[in-house]
Amino acid sequence: MHRRSLVVIGLILALALPLSASQFIQLPFDQIATESKYIVRGTIDQTWSAWDDSHEVIFTYATMRVNRYFGETTGPDTLVIREVGGTVDGYTQEAIGFPMIRKGEDVVLMLAQWEDSADLRIHAFNQGKYLVKGAAGREVLIEDPVKQGESRPGTSGDHGPQENMMAPGLRMNEFAQMVEAARAGHQIEKQRQ
Amino acid sequence: MRKQTILSIALSAIFVIAAAEPVMAYTLLSPRRRWATTPITVRVYNVGNSTITDGDGGVTAVVGAIRAWGIISSSTTSSAAVRGTAPATIMLNTNGGGLCTGGCLAATLTGYYTTQTGDDRIYDADVYTNTAQPLYSSRESGCSGEYDIDGIMTHEVGHVIGLGHSSVAGATMYPSVSACNTSPRSLATDDINGKNDLY
Repeated sequence: MHRRSLVVIGLILALALPLSASQFIQLPFDQIATESKYIVRGTIDQTWSAWDDSHEVIFTYATMRVNRYFGETTGPDTLVIREVGGTVDGYTQEAIGFPMIRKGEDVVLMLAQWEDSADLRIHAFNQGKYLVKGAAGREVLIEDPVKQGESRPGTSGDHGPQENMMAPGLRMNEFAQMVEAARAGHQIEKQRQ
Repeated sequence: MRKQTILSIALSAIFVIAAAEPVMAYTLLSPRRRWATTPITVRVYNVGNSTITDGDGGVTAVVGAIRAWGIISSSTTSSAAVRGTAPATIMLNTNGGGLCTGGCLAATLTGYYTTQTGDDRIYDADVYTNTAQPLYSSRESGCSGEYDIDGIMTHEVGHVIGLGHSSVAGATMYPSVSACNTSPRSLATDDINGKNDLY
């Protein structure tokens, strides 16, 4: 009977947990890791926004000072990333639910190329972006809880995402091992939730 | 003993559900923003999605589905979306130049000017669809691992009018979608509360 109780409680827990993100399908970590051109840790130095040539889309560009490449990837010390959304002359364009890039962020990014150019974008939307938190040597990676169209927790009177919606953290060395295993084609046991 | 076990399970269930479900409901996009007037005009580009086999690629189904919000004036158009320029336009046949690919089902781009007083004003919103995902509409029978375009676009139009996501399971604006799930077609009380907060 005790075992049956545990099974029932387990089922209730499984049904109560959130399943996935917005109008995005959650992709497996190893798929994102293997599809990424670069997987990097670094700091966002500068950001700027501009209309595209046809004046239809505002893109935000960011320079990232890279201090670590994960897996077998290597590349330049500075990368330029292009994400849709931004503000030009007081007009803001946002892609709801897409990742944001902010100056000064310490991040780990999984990057891929845009379909139509060699420019880099965050792969798999917010699944390819982690904020680095904690002291050196004990850093933890967390999902960025604030995407385009959302408010930073505790900064707005509006209804907005809460701290308790953050996913649990992932240690830097765990992340590195997961990337290496995925890119080597090995089964990874622990996946980002 | 049996009663104790049942009580224990019931208490555990209440605790687990309460812990998993944050005490919040609908959210508004931040900064808070709205269209200046209602009804809000939303056009559906008349070239449909090739994976939807209902006769017109989901166009008619979506025109009808998004009226669930009650403040939408919807119709078809032969003009493709022009970003940054109203009216709001839903494009079922394109991912917006690579905007909505991979795990993205649909993406909404909104444009607004910041105002010094009151809510910000939305001037344009356009929706793009991942043409590589399997989709079906309410005008088709049966579903096999496909995603419901009626529900997807009803959710996206929630963003078009200024809503963010809801933590209420079963709400159209709930941040989760699964294949063959048609419940987002129907607005929940929470979705209506969010709309009424803005309009």
